[in-house]
Amino acid sequence: MNGHSMKRPGRRGPGTPPGTTPGTTLLARAALALYPPSWRARYGDEVHALLEESGGGLGAAASVAWRALPAWIWPPAHLHDRPARMRASLSTGLLAWSFLTGLALVFAQLTQFQGFQPPGHPIIPASYLVFDAALVMSVAAAGLGGLPLWLLMLRRAHRERLRRDTLYLLLPLIVPIAFLAGLNIMVPLVGGAHGVSPASFLIITLAGFCFAGVAATGPGLALRRLQPRGPALHLATIAGGVAAAAAVTAAAAIIVAVTGLCLWARGFAGYHHGAIPGVYLALVVVAATVTAVSATRGTRAALAELR
Amino acid sequence: MGDRLDRWADPPLLVLASLADEPKHGYAITQDVAQTMGVRLSAGTLYAVISRLESRGLIEPLPAEDRRRPYRLTAAGAAELARQSERMSRVASLATKRLQANLGWAPA
Repeated sequence: MNGHSMKRPGRRGPGTPPGTTPGTTLLARAALALYPPSWRARYGDEVHALLEESGGGLGAAASVAWRALPAWIWPPAHLHDRPARMRASLSTGLLAWSFLTGLALVFAQLTQFQGFQPPGHPIIPASYLVFDAALVMSVAAAGLGGLPLWLLMLRRAHRERLRRDTLYLLLPLIVPIAFLAGLNIMVPLVGGAHGVSPASFLIITLAGFCFAGVAATGPGLALRRLQPRGPALHLATIAGGVAAAAAVTAAAAIIVAVTGLCLWARGFAGYHHGAIPGVYLALVVVAATVTAVSATRGTRAALAELR
Repeated sequence: MGDRLDRWADPPLLVLASLADEPKHGYAITQDVAQTMGVRLSAGTLYAVISRLESRGLIEPLPAEDRRRPYRLTAAGAAELARQSERMSRVASLATKRLQANLGWAPA
């Protein structure tokens, strides 16, 4: 290696490369924060150094940020062992999927469960049908595909007397039951002749998301601690991919239906307020994106392992 | 139009060609590619390429110096670069022949 490759052209002194400003450093850190932790740990310092040496700037940071999505979807094989990637994808995917399913249930509550069909374009009832089928398929795939892995981990936790892991694994059962029991007690107390008020509905919904988050975090923590491998992990990861694909289809149906309701049924269930459906749809898009990316990463690792 | 076509240059090949000379770290690769091949690689593109090439065993990292880590070509990387160079030579030769035969173009 000669001097050319290792010298630092343009440097004005130790630690003060040209164009390096607090803004450059902040932009570089923000762009790198978008990458998977393993990628960041391996290449983060080097990219940061390159951005400093080349003067950084918004364009350079944007070029780094733009490549973050492929780094999530197609993570370099040398950075992870595949079972670890499957477990990480399952943990993240389960959390994002729970959030997305929660949003889907809010959609169902504010549309189909209202007891009458809104007038409007035929695309609205058609998207309801797609949503129903996709949501049922997603829940079935996640439940059936994840069951063997869940039972396997539960048996191991029980056999080895790992009480904390047993509790983590039981959270998806305990938490929804506790939430529904609380709902049965609270709704008659706060509800009137026409059901609960919008404020109470909002509080119940937010509480539901918190409970769902706790329920979904439990198996993720158990996956991290017990580190299962083998066919049950493969099956759960591939089923997670199917569940995610169906959930993303349901999310697409929600987007079509809500857009349709805003355009053609504005008097129905508050769809004349553009801001609320807008925020809701943004949350759906974010949850669907995280679910899809996590599931893609896991499924790719599972299929590569099977090959 | 020529400048625009440069944007389609294959970044992995440019990085392999740059490392065929000697091991280099990220900034040195971008400088070398810009000066010798006339293509400006962005930081995002460069490290996307480096991670892919490393993953395929075509380049390997050397011990880091400060925060800069040099990379060098592996034997597999050299073989792949030779294969691709051969292919590009055939394309260039064919293009030159056809330009000369059909459009009367003469190389400078």
